[in-house]
Amino acid sequence: MRISKAGLLVVLALLAPLLVELRTVLSWVNVELTVLETAVVGAALVVVILVWAFLPENGDGKTAEGDASSEN
Amino acid sequence: MNVHTYEKVWLIGAMVLIVGFIVTITYGSVGLGIAMVDDSEETIEPSELDEDERFADPRVEQVGENEYEAYVVAQTFIFQPDPIEVPSGSEVTFYVTSPDVIHSFSIVGTNVNTMVIPGEVATMTVEFDEAGEYGVVCNEYCGSGHHTMEGELHVVPDEEFDMTELSVEADDEVETGDEATIEVEVENRMLEALETAVTLEIGDETLEEDVTIDGGETETTTFTIDSADLGEGDHDWTVTVDDYEDSGTLTVTDELEEDDDE
Amino acid sequence: MSNAYIDDFPAEAKLVRTAFYSSFLALALGGVFGIIQTLHRTGYYRFIDSADYYTVLTAHGVFLVISFTIFFLVGVFTWAITTSLDRGVEDLRFTWGWYGLMAIGITLSGVAILAGFTDATDISASVLFTFYAPLQAHPMFYLGLVLFVVGTWLAGADWFRSWWAWKQENPDARIPLPTFMVLTTMLMWYIATLGVAAAILLFLLPWSLGLVDSVNPLLTRTLFWFFGHPVVYFWLMPAYMMWYIMLPKVSGGKLFSDPLARVVFVLFLILSVPTGIHHQYLDPGIAEGFKFIAMTNTMFLLLPSLLTAFTVVASMEHGARQRGGEGYFGWLTALPWRDPVFTGMALAGLMFAAAGFSGMINAGMNINYLVHNTFWVVGHFHLTVGTAVALTFMAVTYWFLPQITGRALWSRSVALGQVVLWFVGMTFMSNAMHRGGLLGVPRRTAEPQYDGFEFEAAVGSMGELQAQIALGGILLTLSLVLFFANVFGTALNGRSDELPANEYAGTLSGPEDAPLVLDNLKLWTAIAVVLVIFAYTFPLLSIVDRGGLFGPDINPLPVSLETVHLLAFVLESHATGALESIAWLGVSR
Repeated sequence: MRISKAGLLVVLALLAPLLVELRTVLSWVNVELTVLETAVVGAALVVVILVWAFLPENGDGKTAEGDASSEN
Repeated sequence: MNVHTYEKVWLIGAMVLIVGFIVTITYGSVGLGIAMVDDSEETIEPSELDEDERFADPRVEQVGENEYEAYVVAQTFIFQPDPIEVPSGSEVTFYVTSPDVIHSFSIVGTNVNTMVIPGEVATMTVEFDEAGEYGVVCNEYCGSGHHTMEGELHVVPDEEFDMTELSVEADDEVETGDEATIEVEVENRMLEALETAVTLEIGDETLEEDVTIDGGETETTTFTIDSADLGEGDHDWTVTVDDYEDSGTLTVTDELEEDDDE
Repeated sequence: MSNAYIDDFPAEAKLVRTAFYSSFLALALGGVFGIIQTLHRTGYYRFIDSADYYTVLTAHGVFLVISFTIFFLVGVFTWAITTSLDRGVEDLRFTWGWYGLMAIGITLSGVAILAGFTDATDISASVLFTFYAPLQAHPMFYLGLVLFVVGTWLAGADWFRSWWAWKQENPDARIPLPTFMVLTTMLMWYIATLGVAAAILLFLLPWSLGLVDSVNPLLTRTLFWFFGHPVVYFWLMPAYMMWYIMLPKVSGGKLFSDPLARVVFVLFLILSVPTGIHHQYLDPGIAEGFKFIAMTNTMFLLLPSLLTAFTVVASMEHGARQRGGEGYFGWLTALPWRDPVFTGMALAGLMFAAAGFSGMINAGMNINYLVHNTFWVVGHFHLTVGTAVALTFMAVTYWFLPQITGRALWSRSVALGQVVLWFVGMTFMSNAMHRGGLLGVPRRTAEPQYDGFEFEAAVGSMGELQAQIALGGILLTLSLVLFFANVFGTALNGRSDELPANEYAGTLSGPEDAPLVLDNLKLWTAIAVVLVIFAYTFPLLSIVDRGGLFGPDINPLPVSLETVHLLAFVLESHATGALESIAWLGVSR
């Protein structure tokens, strides 16, 4: 795992305010999402984050963050 | 005392932010003229609003060409007058007070919002550019029925707005052969003169009289109807002045029969 | 044998434990009333009469912002004094005395409120937390509040007594930081509570007992806000204390700067009280100048909070780098996110930043027209007291419980889930409240559904906002259930011998860097009093002059205030400006 389980939990939690505010921000550029569309976007982001988190670390230089958190 | 460089930068940034806020708010007050609700009005005895010339009869008054004053009473759990009607393109000063507990007078979706405190009169001057209908709510808890306290504000298109008041005094019953009178009082509470017509419909007849009422004046139009023309029985009548209407029924009775009864 | 608080101070640990449990009882009651309200207001489930909603709301407010916060505060402060001075309380009977007084007081007020649900007695107090006259509560409600506040005064006296005794033995030592924080907070509290004491003892209690016929509603309201604003800092200061002395430690590092922590608490002491009129921007009967003074003071109050934001983040970063964190943002991943104490406080701090922004809007005198008394305000204080304070308290509870019970925490995982759930729940609820407020939805109403008009949402719909609030409320309730599971689970655990030691964070820049003048409590108190006099004398005189001490047309004071208004304004602006620059110079020197 590239991130600690607790770190992952917090990252997912931080998605909540981002998603909630996203609708308001997008409405400024005349993109109006319905609740369902927002939920779909949210689910997609969750999947992306989970895939990223569970991808095996292969030491290609992008894993510095994962290393630091692994001690938790 | 040693303060880290970053912290100094942060501190200066914070001070700039704070001073910036104060400057923009001052600009809002002085430059844009957003005045705060203040202590410019005299206090008032909350238990004696009935005798107050402004609040005994809550209403809208015209005080200048496009200037109006609204005297509003907020009390558990209503606003008076309701609805409040003002014309578009006008400047309205609200005077709001309460005879009982603390309320608020808040026009939903706008920045018209003030506390209403018994003993004090809140004033706000507001410009209404466009016609529309707004809700008025009390947003300070005022008792167990607080959630039912609402009113309406109608901003009427300028050309449709008037402050005409119609009252009709009519005979209920006349004897055949006598004349029936219907007295129509039209009050024009606007400042400029009102040119209109008073129309009476009774039976198959339609009577009309043109009137010109100066600002702040009341004109009385008297219609006289020969009951013989109507004939015995009940006759519905309607008085119309612009959009205002009043109606009633005139009964024409047989003179002889009545005499016999007695 | 471990070195936990309960090992060093068993008697004091019992007091702290009792205070915490009292606080948690209030939290449980407040939470139950909270979810009833959420579901009622949003229309999802209504099983009480709408008229009773206001009794529920009063109970929710009073139990959470008076009992929950302040009982927790006395627990934390007792711990802070005894730990940082390393001495027990001077007289345990006195300590239990003030606790008892507080408990009796809040019980009286609480019974008066809850009696509103039954017709069996005519006792009721559905006047909400602000108890604005002419709404009148049963005398028991006011009496209870007085006893509770007197209890806190005696608690403060207890802590000052410990400090004086310690000073005799350590004449040249600097005041330890936690003690300094307790003392400045209590000085602020003594000044602030004068307002509510005057409102209740001189006016509301005699009025509710029928001794006087009427009150001046604007006067009692102004006296309430004299206390009503600083009380929010009274809730906040224990949370700030935890962010300064606990968060750096659990992050794995040290507090960035002891002197700046002292500056922050001094600023709160001098600026908390002369700002209360910003709650009355829209009150008729108060001159615009007085509102302007309150506005500038409020804006300067942003300074200590902005400084805190810097110090807290800097301390966390320091901790993360001690733990091996690297890079501009990479250090964030090195923080101990597994630790609910840390994560809870960090999330609380993050939400407090958002609360700061909505607070800046509230403080903006003219933009306040748009949001005053709308649901926006409710969204704001659910981020401040409802998250910055409550979530910090719950998070540090996970550190304190082992210290004061001697038992290991029941479950760290449940605790972590609990703090994260609170954050998510509050995100949903508070966001919808803020947005509802912008549409003009009022606060404090059982049914924000009206006959004559509808609220028009700019994005989404009112229905979605209501759903979001209900969802948030349910998540928050679940979070509370998890919290209490941990409190009970821990209490049922056996006595542990392997508890962490009772310690708080060290400092990178210690008290030796702080100018001595910062510890001169007399000076700061004097300045605070002078500022309060400047900010409040003239508004209060003017209100009494206009409306009489006991209501319109009774006892008018023969004072003409036309010129005085201007004078007060000029004096105040200069004084504030001078003080700010002194404080600022003091810091930057």
